[in-house]
Amino acid sequence: MSAPAVERAVERYPAHLHPAYATGVRSLRVVEVVRLTDTVRHVVLEAPDGGVLASYEPGAHLVVTTFPEVLPTEADQTEKRNAYSLTGDGVNPRRYAVSVLRRGDGGGSDWVHDALAVGDLVEVEGPRSSFAPRHDQRHALLVAGGIGVTPVLSHARAVVRWGGTCEIVYSYRPGHGAHLEDLRALAARPGVTLHEATTVEHTARVLAERFADQPLGTHAYACGPVPMLDAYVDAAAAAGWPEGRVHLERFTAPELDAGVPFTATVASTGQRLAVPPGTSLLTALLDAGHEVANLCRQGVCGECLVPVRSGALEHRDLVLSESEKSAGDRMLSCVSRGGHAGAEIEVDL
Amino acid sequence: MTVTTVRPFPTRGHTARLPWPFPDDLTEFRYSVNVEPARVVRRTAAGEWGAHIVDLGGEEYGAIMADRRRILDADPTRVRVMPGMAPACWDLLVYYLRDLAASYPHLMELDETATPAGDRFHWRNHALGTDQVFVLGDAASLPCDPMTFLGREVPDDLLLVKERDGRLHFDAGLVTFAAAWSVSFDVGMSMDEIHQPVPGLTRAGITSRAEQFLRRLPADQVYRRVNWTLSASGTRKLDVSLEELPEWGTDIPALVRDEDWGRLQLRIEVEHFVRLPMTGAVTFNIRTHMTSLEEIRQVPAWRDQLARVVLELPDDIAAYKGFLDYREPAMAWLTAPVGAAPHVGGAG
Repeated sequence: MSAPAVERAVERYPAHLHPAYATGVRSLRVVEVVRLTDTVRHVVLEAPDGGVLASYEPGAHLVVTTFPEVLPTEADQTEKRNAYSLTGDGVNPRRYAVSVLRRGDGGGSDWVHDALAVGDLVEVEGPRSSFAPRHDQRHALLVAGGIGVTPVLSHARAVVRWGGTCEIVYSYRPGHGAHLEDLRALAARPGVTLHEATTVEHTARVLAERFADQPLGTHAYACGPVPMLDAYVDAAAAAGWPEGRVHLERFTAPELDAGVPFTATVASTGQRLAVPPGTSLLTALLDAGHEVANLCRQGVCGECLVPVRSGALEHRDLVLSESEKSAGDRMLSCVSRGGHAGAEIEVDL
Repeated sequence: MTVTTVRPFPTRGHTARLPWPFPDDLTEFRYSVNVEPARVVRRTAAGEWGAHIVDLGGEEYGAIMADRRRILDADPTRVRVMPGMAPACWDLLVYYLRDLAASYPHLMELDETATPAGDRFHWRNHALGTDQVFVLGDAASLPCDPMTFLGREVPDDLLLVKERDGRLHFDAGLVTFAAAWSVSFDVGMSMDEIHQPVPGLTRAGITSRAEQFLRRLPADQVYRRVNWTLSASGTRKLDVSLEELPEWGTDIPALVRDEDWGRLQLRIEVEHFVRLPMTGAVTFNIRTHMTSLEEIRQVPAWRDQLARVVLELPDDIAAYKGFLDYREPAMAWLTAPVGAAPHVGGAG
């Protein structure tokens, strides 16, 4: 007889047989710490056995468990999970590297600067993809502002690795250009151009210029502070770029209001969850015992995406594209809500 | 003391390895998102299957691969890779070779070394005599593209889907054993476009749920799904692709005319879904198995269940699967007492 898979499995194997596909929580060793600028520290990690690490898509981040002095919320919390962009090309890596800006707020980034040393073991999870290139891009326009250079460097290295072409715009304050030498070295190769800008005006001018002069099939990507991203989006729109070709990764999300009350029905069980203002759908789902992966809880990382079967939605995230939002079949449960007070939505969990 | 060694290489014959597509208690088949974790061994009425992602096919491995290689040599258009999908093909190749070496260590070996020139891999497949050194990402280091190289080592049809503009698209494939479809026709299409012809699938939201499933497929899990039909050929021929229509198009009308029902083949497809980490591409690889009604008749539980399921199927699905016109006499033959069944074919 053909037995039900789970109950009467003769033997259960792990999903992946090779160690280079491990992305769960595990310890890596700090093998190198480099001071890139006064405020940016570059940390290199290896598997304790020196083995191959999981490959990743350009722009992916690594989740690092940190132990900051100032803890964010709950009193009993003693650790925090910070997401840092990986700077490599992601191809069969034997090392992971991240570059961390000291925020000076006593948080996870300060811990990386003050506490981490070569030889330490750190707990990581991932890599997780959140800012991947379009595989069919014919050319890439890569825009970095400040520490936003980290995922852009990853994209640029992958473009070089696979023989593509790209143009990089790097906006930085003089003396604070982390990875500037790495980008200049890449730009010495055929197919890669680097434009540097060190003032707001200069950055806006370069963006306007570069958006106006890209080959057909180019996709643009940007990571940096909010004002620079706004300038980037404006420059793209002014140059007539379709939204689907203009990608960005934000560090911080805008403040959100408490939102309307609504009801979510869980499709698999029929359970109805009342979600009052100030409570997110994610929290309501987690409290009701549904496991929903999540990370930033700000509508930025995309981790807590849930499929939606029906109901009006108010999307408040920075991850989904306009067309994905209007499809109405998915939402980021940490920030997005029912479309109006008293809305009924059905989530496909 | 007796030490029993179990050889993981299956040698117990075709029927014992067959991935019977229906759960024990199933009496009515409808399309659903019937996915389950991969690598779970399942017992069937005749044996067991499912321990590995790649099922080499035991003693049939050499013959299947000879067939695959013959088709690829004769028709290079069975491999279609859309622009920008080369990295995903390397991702696929490395994943599968690593998995094969771990699953069949007495047959297959993969050595990896980091060199200044890149990541060097040495692949040896003792069953087929392959001995190849290549550098990851270096197209010149392989005799063919990476997808074709893998396709000449494993019996699975290889399909990669990747997200573009919020939809999953079938953007690369090596398909020599398609069931009445063509890789050249389907490549580049979205999941919606590909599945539009399947009755009820899009209307019932199954395509969109399947797509959600694949889009959210976690990096640390591998899933599989079993699909089935009655083959468009009354032989073991795996290649019933649209490209080969002139070769098989008259098989079933002839079989029906001769009432040679024992030659009808149940075609079982096991699909595996792996998210490849370097590119985010997801596999939709398909391993095809065939068994004839004559063989199924030898296993009473299979015989009875198949007849029940096929006869119960709504007309639109039976028509889509291609057996609406002949399912009743075929299933009557299957369930008739052995010896009493009219068997005209072959006797002339």
